[in-house]
Amino acid sequence: MAAAAPPPPPAPAPEPSIAFQESSRRDNPLFSRIRLATPADVPHIHKLIHQMAVFERLTDLCSATESSLSATLFNSAPFTSFTIFLLEVSPKPFPSSERVIYLDHPLIDPQRETFISDNVNDVTVAGFVLFFPNYSTFLAKPGFYIEDLFVRECYRRKGFGRMLLSAVAKQAVKMGYGRVEWVVLDWNVNAIKFYEEMGAKVHDEWRICRLTGPALEKYGDDAI
Amino acid sequence: MEPSHSLFSRIRLATPADVPRIYKLLHQQAVFSHLTYDFSATESSLSATLFKYAPFTSVTIFLLEVSPNPLTPSDRVIHLEHPLTDPERETFISDKVNDVTVVGFVSFFPNYSSFLAKHGFCIEDLFVRECYRRKGFGRMLLSAVAKQAVKMGYGKVEWAVIDWNDNAIKFYEEMGAQVVDHKWRLWWLSSAALEKLGE
Repeated sequence: MAAAAPPPPPAPAPEPSIAFQESSRRDNPLFSRIRLATPADVPHIHKLIHQMAVFERLTDLCSATESSLSATLFNSAPFTSFTIFLLEVSPKPFPSSERVIYLDHPLIDPQRETFISDNVNDVTVAGFVLFFPNYSTFLAKPGFYIEDLFVRECYRRKGFGRMLLSAVAKQAVKMGYGRVEWVVLDWNVNAIKFYEEMGAKVHDEWRICRLTGPALEKYGDDAI
Repeated sequence: MEPSHSLFSRIRLATPADVPRIYKLLHQQAVFSHLTYDFSATESSLSATLFKYAPFTSVTIFLLEVSPNPLTPSDRVIHLEHPLTDPERETFISDKVNDVTVVGFVSFFPNYSSFLAKHGFCIEDLFVRECYRRKGFGRMLLSAVAKQAVKMGYGKVEWAVIDWNDNAIKFYEEMGAQVVDHKWRLWWLSSAALEKLGE
């Protein structure tokens, strides 16, 4: 993996960070819900993963295709293996809306057509979280590891990241799990602030090691 | 010529009968890593959670066993100049008749890389008891996981290492692993914060 010079950090978001200024009028509502992804969502998931790679400046590492995602993501029951929660929004109420926010101005989503999941009811995919069970031997408890948490740019700073992370936390508590873990890029100041406000702690004495590519493949030789 | 003392070794999947030894190994590892404050596992909680699913589909433990007698199957034999003194042999014996002792373990579970759209393994623990270190046993355990990953068509094996553990970092680099760019930091929500958020 080429070690690139760190990119300039994103500008810290203006205060307040999580709470945004909700409109005092009930115009421009945006209803939202979280649901489990299905194989039909793969085209949207693929585009979201690619957008996240762009944000992280890691597109050279992103080789996922719709077909490789379809083949690997839906082989087991939710929560026992890799699971994706999708965040969907709509100007119209959902049968079971989890949240509604009122915006000062109608939100302009330049990629609405690309991410629409239900044309009839005007439902768009705005973000996702991909997670899977891990296991802490020290706690003798499973937990969840969050591989990806991503909200599309025009939907940020509206509490949707919090909604997605809370959904995973809620599932972990429901299942009696011990911990929810993930990694964060150290230049992602907005993410760091967000996670701190959610009550998470960084453990920066840990370094991630990885064996991949040709270095991993050589262990498949019987000679080793 | 000095007589050589042979030490046969093998790696096998742990079973529920191994829990007492797994528990002791975990505790030794917690002491070594200065993480005993974070340690709340018991033999009973390990038994209840470690063997619910088929190997490799969820958390999996490989045990490393040694014996002065040939093992079947035997993965490796080394020849020592002096007989090895294991002060905890009695505690970790897994087969008294054949003189087989547990000397280390690796615990791992499947993970997923969305960028690769491939499964991988994440190693939670890799530990060899003190008197058996510097004999290639850590390498054997890590290689066993890597081999399993390649066999299953997986894309990566990952784990975390504490930044002060220079020996471990050197060992991992010699194995072909890379310390991923330092810009990634590990975060977690522990149970108290989790309960609060899950409300």
